[in-house]
Amino acid sequence: MSKKDTLRELVNILVKSLRHKIGSIVNEDALYAAKYAKDAEILLKEAQKVHLREHWNRDDKIEIKERLANELRIELTSKEFIADQKFDYIEKEIKEALRILDLE
Amino acid sequence: MQFVHRISKGSRFNQIYVPASMNEVFEVGDLVEVRLIEKKTKIYTSCNIQLSAFKKKLINQILSILQRITGIEQSFIVGSFLTSKTDYNDIDILLISNKDCEKEVYSRLMTKFDLKFHVLVIPEERFQRLIKICPLTRSMLYYFVSHKHFSLPATTEIDKQHLEFLLMMPEDLLEIKANSRAYYDSWRRLLAIERFLKGEAIDNIAIIKDIERSLGKLLHTYMRSNEPLEEIHLKKIRTHMDQKIHFIRKLLRAS
Repeated sequence: MSKKDTLRELVNILVKSLRHKIGSIVNEDALYAAKYAKDAEILLKEAQKVHLREHWNRDDKIEIKERLANELRIELTSKEFIADQKFDYIEKEIKEALRILDLE
Repeated sequence: MQFVHRISKGSRFNQIYVPASMNEVFEVGDLVEVRLIEKKTKIYTSCNIQLSAFKKKLINQILSILQRITGIEQSFIVGSFLTSKTDYNDIDILLISNKDCEKEVYSRLMTKFDLKFHVLVIPEERFQRLIKICPLTRSMLYYFVSHKHFSLPATTEIDKQHLEFLLMMPEDLLEIKANSRAYYDSWRRLLAIERFLKGEAIDNIAIIKDIERSLGKLLHTYMRSNEPLEEIHLKKIRTHMDQKIHFIRKLLRAS
């Protein structure tokens, strides 16, 4: 798998992980907030494994961040059942995920 | 000097008898103090759950402690502690309360028992809604022990947004590889949603049997204990999940 493919895979998993995370924050249902947050964690762990496959330079990190922001916005827009406050959390949650993956 | 006795029912007043052996210590006219040590707890169970004497005693003690915490409307013991003989990791407790009492409950239970608990607190109004709309809540309460009577409402409501939320993870796992336990949990979730949409009882024991039938006992055990999966098994699991998701989507469209 080329580095480009790995980058695409990494962004894809991160998008899904952050969608779960943001869903857990904005969903009024406290009972399942923890469950959705756990789903986000499971996917973030998978993202960590993919991340370790490559060495990421500064340009890669910029590309990951930009693609993630774009694709997450598209993904959240398509999930109409997640409350509209979801868009307010994009920046903060991306920053946090990239910090965990050491991709800031 | 002290003694421990249960309160017994009297014709006019309930009473505590002084043991004969202590007649000379506790005499008529002496001033004594009566203190509650353990609240008598009546236990209500669903589906005639058979519990060992050890589990019954432990549940009694847990419910007795929970009853003494103000603001808790109802306490339920749920989960694998009730349905598995030994294969449970923690004791799941569901509390109906409008008070944020999770920390207090943890602290009291941990101090007393030194066991692993998982405590969920739901406000009353939310609970009343969830037992109508949520397959996972209904599955959790299929087997329970409580200090008060409870039965799941016979009528349910389809909340498509809520079900879409529940379907997110199983759908993601068709595409993303994760640990085997994540597949196991998602599959159980799908079977619960399917039974809910079909108006069937969401019995966790029956769901586990369903999984065993589809995959075989060995693969079921592997997933349950989060063992790594071979590619061929992963493919098989994803195919089953994909078919189930399609079926659920069809039921959802028809509802």
